[in-house]
Amino acid sequence: MVDVSRHDVVIVGGGGAGLRAAIAASELNPEISIALVSKVYPMRSHTVSAEGGAAAIARDDDSLEMHGYDTVKGSDFLGDQDVIQYFVEQAPKELTRLEHWGCPWSRNEDGSVATRAFGGMSTKRTWYATDKVGFHMLHTLFQTSMKFGNVDRYDEHFVTKLLVDGGVCRGVAALDIRTGEMKAILGKAVILTTGGGGKVWPFTTNGNIKTGDGMSLAYREGVPLKDMEFVQYHPTGLPGTGILITEATRGEGGYLLNNEGERFLVTRDYGVGNKAELGPRDMISRAITQEIAAGRGVEIPGKPGRYAHLDLRHIGEEKIMARLPFVRELSKAYANVDPVHEPIPIRPVLHYMMGGVDTDIEARTSLDGLYAAGEVACVSLNGANRLGSNSLTECLVFGARAGEHATEYIKGASVGEEGPFVQQAEAEAARIDAFRGRQRGGEKIAKVREDMNTAMEDGTGVYREQASMAKAVKDIAELRQRFEQVSLDDSSKIFNTELIAGLELGNMLDVAEAVTWAAVQRKESRGAHACSDYPTRNDTEYLHHSLVYHSPEGPRFDKKEVTLGVWEPEERKY
Amino acid sequence: MSELRPRVDAMKPRAPMPTRTADPRPPDKFPSRGRYPSYLAFGACGAFLLLSAQLLIRGVWALGDGEAAWDAYIVSFGHPVYLAYHVAAFIGLTWFALRLFRLFPATQPNRMGPMKRPADAVLVAGLYGVFFTVLAVGTLFLGGALL
Amino acid sequence: MSEKLKKTFIVTRFDPDKDEVPKTQTYEIEVEPDWKILDALNHIKDTVDPTLSHRWSCRMAVCGSCGMTVNGEPKLTCKDPLSSYGDTIEISPLANFPIVRDLVVELEGFMEKFQEVKPWIMVAKERAVEEGTTRQSPEELADFKGFSMCINCMLCYSACPVVSNEPEFLGPAALALGHRYNQDTRDEGSHVRNAVFRDEGAIFSCSFANECSEVCPKNVNPSGAIQQAKLANVIDWATSFVVKRGEDVS
Repeated sequence: MVDVSRHDVVIVGGGGAGLRAAIAASELNPEISIALVSKVYPMRSHTVSAEGGAAAIARDDDSLEMHGYDTVKGSDFLGDQDVIQYFVEQAPKELTRLEHWGCPWSRNEDGSVATRAFGGMSTKRTWYATDKVGFHMLHTLFQTSMKFGNVDRYDEHFVTKLLVDGGVCRGVAALDIRTGEMKAILGKAVILTTGGGGKVWPFTTNGNIKTGDGMSLAYREGVPLKDMEFVQYHPTGLPGTGILITEATRGEGGYLLNNEGERFLVTRDYGVGNKAELGPRDMISRAITQEIAAGRGVEIPGKPGRYAHLDLRHIGEEKIMARLPFVRELSKAYANVDPVHEPIPIRPVLHYMMGGVDTDIEARTSLDGLYAAGEVACVSLNGANRLGSNSLTECLVFGARAGEHATEYIKGASVGEEGPFVQQAEAEAARIDAFRGRQRGGEKIAKVREDMNTAMEDGTGVYREQASMAKAVKDIAELRQRFEQVSLDDSSKIFNTELIAGLELGNMLDVAEAVTWAAVQRKESRGAHACSDYPTRNDTEYLHHSLVYHSPEGPRFDKKEVTLGVWEPEERKY
Repeated sequence: MSELRPRVDAMKPRAPMPTRTADPRPPDKFPSRGRYPSYLAFGACGAFLLLSAQLLIRGVWALGDGEAAWDAYIVSFGHPVYLAYHVAAFIGLTWFALRLFRLFPATQPNRMGPMKRPADAVLVAGLYGVFFTVLAVGTLFLGGALL
Repeated sequence: MSEKLKKTFIVTRFDPDKDEVPKTQTYEIEVEPDWKILDALNHIKDTVDPTLSHRWSCRMAVCGSCGMTVNGEPKLTCKDPLSSYGDTIEISPLANFPIVRDLVVELEGFMEKFQEVKPWIMVAKERAVEEGTTRQSPEELADFKGFSMCINCMLCYSACPVVSNEPEFLGPAALALGHRYNQDTRDEGSHVRNAVFRDEGAIFSCSFANECSEVCPKNVNPSGAIQQAKLANVIDWATSFVVKRGEDVS
């Protein structure tokens, strides 16, 4: 028998969006009970790794219209314009709330909040707390959440299934990692805030926990994943580890150089115009990839691969220490380079998934009772390419929206007959028990994962080809077969991290399937989806969102209209 | 310090733990490793502070009891045990003060009242200055040069 | 590819279902010279022994998951280079914490202590969003910024001799974060936190070993925070007899 607990709102994921949702729900109705279920302690969530900043208008030379237009253009016109308008309006309010809650935003001399320049943004609108913005936001939210007595945390609980019956979602089945026991955590609404799935790829800024769990949970219940082909390569990752070096380095004036010491974004035409290093991420990543392909990459003695140089030397030690101390710490510790004296070798690195669980502007999914916000969701703010510093704000704006809307929704909802949900949780407990320590064909988790990583890197890199994407579709299908033959060595119930890794691999294969399926369907180049066979954008045939549905027979593909109406699609040139 | 071997119920939550745990281990090779001996010695110097304070109180007491008592008090310091104690206390408390000075800058806030905090070197130099001045004045006073 | 080196890892193992007390297991593996300790552990888990359990995530020294004891010192293993050790490296769980399994320790004790210092902005009346952001000068920010850098990695608890001896002690990270809010110009709750601070098992239990600040991977300086809090508390206590304290805050 599984342990059953009852709440009103169940939030899965304890990062920026999840904590914001919990606070929003708690503030709106202090009487309700909120469960915050996370596979790690909330302060370990990957929001912590975000560096550069969070966008919202703050200066007199800025406007909602400008932030909106920058975002739409950055999205290569695939962002939904009603969502973008709502987002830019809410953004300053959300960052102000965070300021009231104690976020240590960096300050101007007069005590106002400081803002910095960021890629694709037409003025300084990125709020920052030196270069550890995600860290400070996450800890501020987590510490603030501790004052709300009606938020019950389930730390280190891994959700393995949404409990769905009669077309409504009324809770989750979660594995208590500590005890190895399954729990049924029931609620009248469930909010997914589990982040993206960067670990599907081998070279990524993402932490170990970013395995697309929430996308997979929704996908398996028939909720479509939207725009999954659009994955963002951040231009500046450290060699070997892929550790993120923030775009704020360029916002503060850093240069990108090739092996001839040439600022190629200035001297050559990569479509970024006079924005140079502050162009949008998709374009800069392509420019670096092209420089390397043209033989102008930088070599590192004793290391494979070619890189570009990120040069901060002219910024000077004082400003680097004041604005970018973490970049210096990371460069020294993980690349053995002091940016005060040497340029940092970097190359594009997988960073963010624009796609995710399809939601509307209220963060609702197509499944009654299920919400999603943050990177796990695709509310269509980011379209085909996200602008740097929009995603932290997105976590707040749509995390809050999800929390508030779910709190309204549960007024008219009840769990109803618990039986079917509890039975599902029990069936799930049996599935997990069978998976733990199971002996099958001798495939190993690490090996299948590595091969999935390779398939995804080959098929869905900065540049894609039809043939390589089609191969990736096939590879992932084969890997799913191999996953069925995985054997597990660890049969212990207590803190079994091999079991978790196995479940995560299953989730990542779902994500990989959706990404490759969506990618192969889009025969154009738009935003982060740069298809060598179809190098131009094709608004006549492809100005639509892509949807991938899970079905027992295999994925099903569909389309969804893009909401326009404010800004007409035009050629994206800076 | 009450016991050298640290207790084993450190960081146990009040709420019952859901699975059996192994007892916490003390910090590795405590107290012989790394900086622990100096920390324990620092704590042990509290004994010198206590004893020296008692000696001072005894002196005040002697003053109240009249000149004879005071003279006896002064003379008693010539005893070899006292001499040995004072040498030990002097070395111990000097070291105590120096450790404190080394750690002192890190305990100071960014601003001291309306002023920005001075550089660490200035703080430490100031402490050394005060220490050696007091030491010199004390030596001269006790040596009779200032009377 | 750079040349591989052979290293021996002596790792603490404990499975409460099977082991009465923790034991050690030895792994000999080939490592890359530029690996961190965590890379070696992940290599063991992926290719040698999938039953080894340890926590990790960001591998960039900011999520705070991977604190362990390496050759006797508390270390953030994702940042700790293999090159600073010899051929044999001992890895055990953080000291001063109950051991859940292998290298995983019990964190609930910390979470309880953390809650006690009320690590959030306390105000008598919540500010409205329409009022805009609060003004705070760069100097005022600098008063607490350093203490806000804590990643809750628990190395300080593992090094602190007071934590070993006094289970009630709230400990370095929790106290430093409490002090961080006391120093924040936006906060009005310092008298509430100070009451917690001067209670038993709080700042006056600190005997200034300074180990927390020595091992902190983020230069938070919890020891400095606690000594500052001691002085601030004495002043707060003394003035509380003359100056009436503010309204109720939450």
